[in-house]
Amino acid sequence: MTSYALFLGCTIPARQPHYELAARKSLTKLGIELVDLENMTCCAPPPLQSIDLETSLAIAAYNICLAEEADLNIVTLCTGCFESLAMANALLKEKKELRERVNKILLNVGKEFKGNKEVRHYLQVLINDIGLNDLKKNVTKPLSKLKVAAFSGCHLLRPSALLRFDDPERPKIFDNLVEAIGAESIWYKNKLKCCGGLLRGYADDVALAIARDKIVNASRAGADCISTLCPFCFLTLDLGQMLIKTTYKEEYNIPVIHYAELLSISMGVNPKELALDFHKVKLDSVLSKIG
Amino acid sequence: MEEAKIGVFLSDCGKQLTEILNFEEIAGYLKKVPQVSLVDVGSEFWRGQGLKTIVDAVKNRKINRVVVAESIPKLGEINIVEALEKAGLNPNFVEVIDIKDHCAWPHRDSPKEATEKAKAMLLAATERVKLAEPIEKLEFPAVKSVLIIGGGLAGMQAAEDLADMGFEVYLVEKEPFLGGLAAKAGRFFPTDDCAICIQSPASDIKTITHTSRKCVYRSGFSEIPNLNVLTNSRILKVEGAPGNYKVTVERKPRYVNEEKCVACDLCASVCPVEVPDDYNARLKNRKAIYINMPLVYPPVYVIDAEACKFEECAKCVKVCPTKAIELNQKSKKVMLNVGSIIVATGFREYDPSVIKEYHYGEYPDVITQLELARMIDGFGPTKGMIIRPSDKKPAKRIVFIQCVGSRDRRWNPYCSSICCMISLKHATLIKSAYPDADITICYIDIRTTGREHEYYYERAREMGIKFVKGRPTEILHDPEADLLIVDVEDELLRRFLELEADLVVLSPAMVPLEDAKQLAEMLGLELDEDGFFKEYNAKLRPTETKKRGILICGGATFPKDAPTTSLQAHSAAVKAAKFLLNGKIVKDQKTAYVNEDYCGDCEFCPVTCPYGAITLTEKADGHIVAHVDDLLCEGCGVCVGTCPVGAIELRHLKPSQISAQMKALLSFNGASKPLILAFCCSECGHAAVDSSGMAMLKYPANIRIMRVPCMGILQVQQILEAFKAGAQGVMVVGCKPDGCHYEVGSQKAQKKVELAKILLKEYGIEPERLEMFNMVYIEGDKFAEAARTMTERIEKLGSLQLA
Amino acid sequence: MAEETQKKPSTIDFAKEITSRLGGETITLCYQCGTCAASCPVAKITEKYNPREVIRLALLGLRDEVLSGNAIWLCSSCYNCQERCPQKVEIADVIYALRNIAIREGNIPNIYSEFAAGLTSEGRIVPISKFLEKKRAEYGLPPLKPAGVEAVRKILSATGFDKIQFKKGETQ
Repeated sequence: MTSYALFLGCTIPARQPHYELAARKSLTKLGIELVDLENMTCCAPPPLQSIDLETSLAIAAYNICLAEEADLNIVTLCTGCFESLAMANALLKEKKELRERVNKILLNVGKEFKGNKEVRHYLQVLINDIGLNDLKKNVTKPLSKLKVAAFSGCHLLRPSALLRFDDPERPKIFDNLVEAIGAESIWYKNKLKCCGGLLRGYADDVALAIARDKIVNASRAGADCISTLCPFCFLTLDLGQMLIKTTYKEEYNIPVIHYAELLSISMGVNPKELALDFHKVKLDSVLSKIG
Repeated sequence: MEEAKIGVFLSDCGKQLTEILNFEEIAGYLKKVPQVSLVDVGSEFWRGQGLKTIVDAVKNRKINRVVVAESIPKLGEINIVEALEKAGLNPNFVEVIDIKDHCAWPHRDSPKEATEKAKAMLLAATERVKLAEPIEKLEFPAVKSVLIIGGGLAGMQAAEDLADMGFEVYLVEKEPFLGGLAAKAGRFFPTDDCAICIQSPASDIKTITHTSRKCVYRSGFSEIPNLNVLTNSRILKVEGAPGNYKVTVERKPRYVNEEKCVACDLCASVCPVEVPDDYNARLKNRKAIYINMPLVYPPVYVIDAEACKFEECAKCVKVCPTKAIELNQKSKKVMLNVGSIIVATGFREYDPSVIKEYHYGEYPDVITQLELARMIDGFGPTKGMIIRPSDKKPAKRIVFIQCVGSRDRRWNPYCSSICCMISLKHATLIKSAYPDADITICYIDIRTTGREHEYYYERAREMGIKFVKGRPTEILHDPEADLLIVDVEDELLRRFLELEADLVVLSPAMVPLEDAKQLAEMLGLELDEDGFFKEYNAKLRPTETKKRGILICGGATFPKDAPTTSLQAHSAAVKAAKFLLNGKIVKDQKTAYVNEDYCGDCEFCPVTCPYGAITLTEKADGHIVAHVDDLLCEGCGVCVGTCPVGAIELRHLKPSQISAQMKALLSFNGASKPLILAFCCSECGHAAVDSSGMAMLKYPANIRIMRVPCMGILQVQQILEAFKAGAQGVMVVGCKPDGCHYEVGSQKAQKKVELAKILLKEYGIEPERLEMFNMVYIEGDKFAEAARTMTERIEKLGSLQLA
Repeated sequence: MAEETQKKPSTIDFAKEITSRLGGETITLCYQCGTCAASCPVAKITEKYNPREVIRLALLGLRDEVLSGNAIWLCSSCYNCQERCPQKVEIADVIYALRNIAIREGNIPNIYSEFAAGLTSEGRIVPISKFLEKKRAEYGLPPLKPAGVEAVRKILSATGFDKIQFKKGETQ
């Protein structure tokens, strides 16, 4: 049985437990053991990197050290956590001077970054540890006829030199996984473009304008729903539609659903067990379409 | 060998130096030196009556070794050596030194010390010639024929030059037709001449009455008797040595007899097989038997062996009026014996499919410059119409994107130099033919540096071609309107534009051919960091490589325009001709040789030789020894400095000569300051000493100069020996590490100096007594400064006490 | 506007200052091609931000304008610019480096003070509420393990993060 240290970060457990719920249910069903380590902290995402890069690297490294000590690879749900931890992992493995600099800081907490573990995203576990074929075998309720605007967000793919998740210009992994559960991953304009989520709190109007663009493009392409991997994207596009209603007076009613939730449903989990009341845009249209 | 009888000739430069140097004292001293038979003082000895005096003394057998102290030794030496050689004296028995620039001028404030130093210098020179052995003159065969690899613009121009000069020329081209990129390009900037016209070397040389240009088909190129054109051929193997190469060429079958084909096109008209025409950007199909365009050279059809059905069909055979088609032709190997090789293989367009944001290869209406050139060419697949490959409709809105994959650190960091002009050329040609065309060029910088190029740019603007300063991030496709959208920031306007285009033309980087590496390995040539063939030195030795006899020209060394390519082609031809002119290569055996008894097969020297002149051979008893190739050896001595057991020596400067000279230079301690020995390399170091003298700079007379071919010859023990011989300090003076005339010598010397410093410390000697100085020839001031600095430093350290 | 054109660009020290910081090492490679601007989702939506212009201001030495302005806070860290840059300038990282300098000089948007507060007090920039903890339990999720606050605080002390003057009332 493959085991991973589950890295939850801050936003998902504190604001979007439905993502965590769906992820735990789906991974457990697929035979992955998730270990909750002690003392994990914030991953040090862009907001912290904006304050101080050195501190962020050290905090990220600290979390990786916890996994190294437990001899486990890390799986993250939030793509922001993935970017922060995987980037730190790659940088510290490759750059000797940087590693020495960070290890000096980690001495203060009795840790040493060794670089012997991997940081993976939830999708990588599905693709590599389980594989598309086995995944398909577990799909008892294929989501046929569902048109999904798959949106992985920025930090799963970029910076590609360090993350090496997929081809940053022609990513296929997420689309393949959406199709594996029976849905159709549709084309829509500016599919890979940022949702503007990180600007919330500083320039809400700009963030909303960028989010609106994405919603409009998904809508024009005929999407039944938008599937996300990042809690910031989710928030921006889900809650965002409420704000678009008040600010722009436009209603789109496109449900935003994390892939983990879609996967769980396709594997037969009862939607009622998935904490779907955390969604602002209700999922009735999607649920009735899949039957 | 008879005993040495040395003649010493001192030039007082027309009494210029007598105020500083006491020539009577010097002459008097020299007469007492053993084996010095003759001492003469005069105004000059490198020409005229002075030279005659030396020559007569040699002819009358009064002397058999010559030392001359002259005023411009590096020039005078050549004259003196030649004259004496004619008189029967071996060149290695002559030593010319400079007591003016190296002694009198710099030390003019202390004439007594200068005189003492002059004695030391002359004693050292006599030691050198005393211990010298005669150097042979070697002759190597030089076959008067040349192989030119690549039948494009450069290759053809070089071929015509050499063939007209009477050399046997083999022009080998891997495609079935000559012309290379030039033929594809159609026209050349800035004159917009037809590229095929310029391809032809000019005039009808035999009569020299025609001055009009003729294109290759009318110039008589094909009739030059010793010009052998081998198309559809490639190089398999290169063996032999400069002057005498044996090259194996494979001639792929054309399946059409070159003597019989009249290019009537009947065969193509009945051929049932159609394949996409790669040469013409797949804008049309061609048959399995074909030519690339109406005017080709040789004007002979060729069969595409992969497409043709051969005997199953054979329709062409039946219809050919001259029975030229031979389906049973086989690949043939040809052996060529050539004296020199010219590489003129050109370059190619980088494949922009890797730059995924531009969708080349996915969107059919995104094309490259060469593909556009095929459209613009009136003889091309679209007869000069500019169309969208997707639906063949006319393209009215055209956007050019510059720097695709060049100036790009992700792909090719360098600037490909000609793409700006190519875009301007294409844009203006299209706009002239189609004034309604809406053309925009997106650029980072516009580079129009050549003659008339700026006027060309001006003309483009006058014609209404638009320019956007900004590099597009992406090309999008609008499926509804079925057009392309170029997403770019107009930096000057500070506005984002979405340019609509029927056709987007990319200017890809110009990169080396895919098989450049393979060819380089076959010939033993170096490639630079961008993968192009490396010129030995673009300023001093353009179109040459480190391998004598192998030249490179044209786009193979770096992308360039037609006029420059032409220049290089002629340069390479002249150099090949010079090399082979006399039918033999004559060389003084100033090379290294291996004492096989000492050679321990450590394999260091073959690796360090910058010219690949050393190979390892197995002797009958299984012992592996190094062997130096006299033709390739440049006599620098880097191998000598590398050998840990002293098994390899230079014929023209043996360790015994170095030792003797060192001791001689340090023997006269009339200097008020501590003696310092300066090893100077004959390229930059020694020349910098000349410069300092010519500039009348001053430094003290305790500095004694010891000339070596390259600093790389120095061994650690020789540096230490200098201290034992009486030097209080040692300087090692030579070329800068990245400018060593023998490539690696300076860096190797640096290592030796570092090692020596460590050893000095072990022996209780201050490592600061040893120092390396790098400079170039004109930095005479740097040498003088170094001499003074070193002197001060040694004075501060005090006298050296050796146990 | 007239005032701005009279500002003299300072020396190249600002560029050196940036290149010597983590994240800012590659800024001087920029040759102002504009690919980053065209790739930027924020620049396409608002004139207030243009990554190419930010770099230009920085390389010209207009330190104050860069560090006290709003522009550097408008990057959404999507890294599209860094992917596409032909000179491999790490643009998004350069923006981080500029933000790092700005914060140390007291230019701190409020939201960042909030993040810092959360980090220092709970080891998480988004603290969990009692309401959420209850909800988690309802859905059968295991209780959230406490974060390693002590370790975080020691790290913040070692890097000097704790010396940064965040907005009053928002930090510990």
